[in-house]
Amino acid sequence: MTDYVDAGEAIPHAQLSAVKGSAPATGNVDYERIQNARSEPANWLTYYGTYDGQRHSELTQINKDTVRRLSPAWVFQAGAVGMQSGASTYSFEASPLVVEGVMYVSGPDGRAWAIDAKTGEELWRYKHASPYDVSLCCGNVNRGLAVGHGKVYMYTLNAHLIALDATTGEKVWDTVNGDVRAGESGSVAPLVVKDMVICGSAGGEFGLRGHIDAFDAQTGERRWRRYTVPKPGEPGSETWGDDAQEAWQRGGANCWVTPTYDPELELLFQGTGNPAPDFDGDVRPGDNLYTDSVVAIDVNTGEIRWHYQFTPHDLWDYDSTMENIVFEKDGRKYVSHADKNGYFFTLDAATGELVKVFPFVDRITWGEITPEGKVTPKVYPDEEGVPVHFWPGPAGGKEWTHMAYSRKTGLMYIPVQEVGATATRRRREFKESIPYWGAGVAVDIEDFYGFVAAVDPLTGEEKWRWRNEYPMCASTLSTAGGLVFQGTPTGEFVALDEETGEKLWSFQCGSGHHSSPSTYEVDGRQYIAVPTGWGGWIEGFLPGLLGAAAGDALFAFALPED
Amino acid sequence: MTTTSGDRAAELADAGLDGQNKIALGRLLGTGNVGYAEEGSDGVMRAEIRIPEDELRYEPGIIIFPHGGDIELTFYNDDKNTHCAVIPSNGDSKFIWLVNHSKGTAKIHLDGPGTYYYSSASGNDEGRGLTGALVMGGEVPDHAKQDRPPQPRP
Repeated sequence: MTDYVDAGEAIPHAQLSAVKGSAPATGNVDYERIQNARSEPANWLTYYGTYDGQRHSELTQINKDTVRRLSPAWVFQAGAVGMQSGASTYSFEASPLVVEGVMYVSGPDGRAWAIDAKTGEELWRYKHASPYDVSLCCGNVNRGLAVGHGKVYMYTLNAHLIALDATTGEKVWDTVNGDVRAGESGSVAPLVVKDMVICGSAGGEFGLRGHIDAFDAQTGERRWRRYTVPKPGEPGSETWGDDAQEAWQRGGANCWVTPTYDPELELLFQGTGNPAPDFDGDVRPGDNLYTDSVVAIDVNTGEIRWHYQFTPHDLWDYDSTMENIVFEKDGRKYVSHADKNGYFFTLDAATGELVKVFPFVDRITWGEITPEGKVTPKVYPDEEGVPVHFWPGPAGGKEWTHMAYSRKTGLMYIPVQEVGATATRRRREFKESIPYWGAGVAVDIEDFYGFVAAVDPLTGEEKWRWRNEYPMCASTLSTAGGLVFQGTPTGEFVALDEETGEKLWSFQCGSGHHSSPSTYEVDGRQYIAVPTGWGGWIEGFLPGLLGAAAGDALFAFALPED
Repeated sequence: MTTTSGDRAAELADAGLDGQNKIALGRLLGTGNVGYAEEGSDGVMRAEIRIPEDELRYEPGIIIFPHGGDIELTFYNDDKNTHCAVIPSNGDSKFIWLVNHSKGTAKIHLDGPGTYYYSSASGNDEGRGLTGALVMGGEVPDHAKQDRPPQPRP
């Protein structure tokens, strides 16, 4: 019999690293503080920076005059240990949060970190072990964390909403909120509102019934759930008129991007995903509410107050999950949304009334929307086995990455993708956790370009555009320094003049951008933070760069200290 | 309890794919056997994993658990070389160093259901085949399921 050497008990992997294991305690981030986030631009308290989603900072140290001296202050390398998904699914998509010098950020593969925002030093780490075989349409990714009530909140790939202690990274509670066997997953950055944490579902490509949920921030107990596909008898169910009365059960409309919020109206503005199956509309006749919509949800009850559907009876995979920016002008409050379908919408925030609609991309062939909002489909896959080409492709004129709004210029800065696709209808029967598309799709690998567009959301006037050889697949950031920051798919991080679009600065980060930069200040020094790491659903939004360099670095830029 | 798939093992042996430096350099991924964890009265699911001599594999290569939860794995390194295991666990992966002829344990927690991989992150052990799978069966809790009738599965 072998006399074995005692190898002891396995230890946490972080014990074999320089990670400190704790972060300094910061001031409490509660509802009142997040409502006033704009008044403390040194911090980036929530996903979009502020509830209204403007992604605009009042910091001015980095400005049109100084930006040419911008250089890396530190770089955090996410790295990886063990097996993980490949280049086509890996992407560093997060938006870093910062509270009093501590950065909270998530990465691919279920990882979250607290980082010293001044030095880049790793303070604590958390790794959520999700199954390797979770059904994911669009990458082993996470878009970020929420911070509040002394905790850090994360929604995981296997649809667990977890709360971590903000100072140690230790798990406080864990609520299972989705069915991975049905193809449900989580990638959204949660949002703290009042004493609740809000998060939405992912998995529309697998025929789920989308929803957005609110949880008690202290206990993880669910307060309410709002399905975004009504079942028979509920308002909107008449728009799911299939003979078998089954289409609603698999309708999609998932809520995989963080909502914006207006504290006065107490409304969440949640974008919803595409109907399922994506391209085969015959099995789901009707408008298919509330897919491809913005739904204004009472944050206290989860009730839908109003909705506006951007693409009724979608046949092109035109999710409308992306942000709905809230802004005011002349005493009226609006929400603006740049949709995958290539049209830009401005609505009354209180009622959902259409104020303005106009195209923000160059090439639209799928259909037409009149200035009054009437939608006319023109080109779509309706015959089995017959290829149909249309613009924009399924990734849309703009996908989930976000535009920014400058309160000074009144302009929206939109990252635009000009990419088409060919879809060929191929009907299939629904089965849980199996992709439910209803077509074969090939996105163009040639004939594409992109640009950042500076657009007036009330008139539709394009003030300028900064054109790029490749589509823009990362979020913009606007600052009171007169700058618009934008990462390109080929790795350049650029600063543009907010008034002219002139490129004032750039830095090659070594891997493409598919994330949301943020800005903050520590000890009087302004930083711009941007995660880089090309990947995700590249085959959908830019297959022409499927072979580009991968990466997993988070850069923090600042001006030289002297 | 471990089951074997005799035909496949024989095929692998005939092809020279069942050990190091035969037709290939290492041992191909996923060629181990299937094992089943046993759940104790304390709710902890336990299984034993061995590293056979000169085969660069965990045995069994796949362990099936009835559901997610607390797990205790006992590792035996029967090889005459040093290896390790980095095993996923909620919160942080667990690491254990396994010198020749050593025995150790790993206490982990995994949410079910689904497949989790682990490996020996030493030298090129992973490249040569020293990877394993922990498969959680079961269902998510009822409160996590969708409000809809049961749906067809493959």
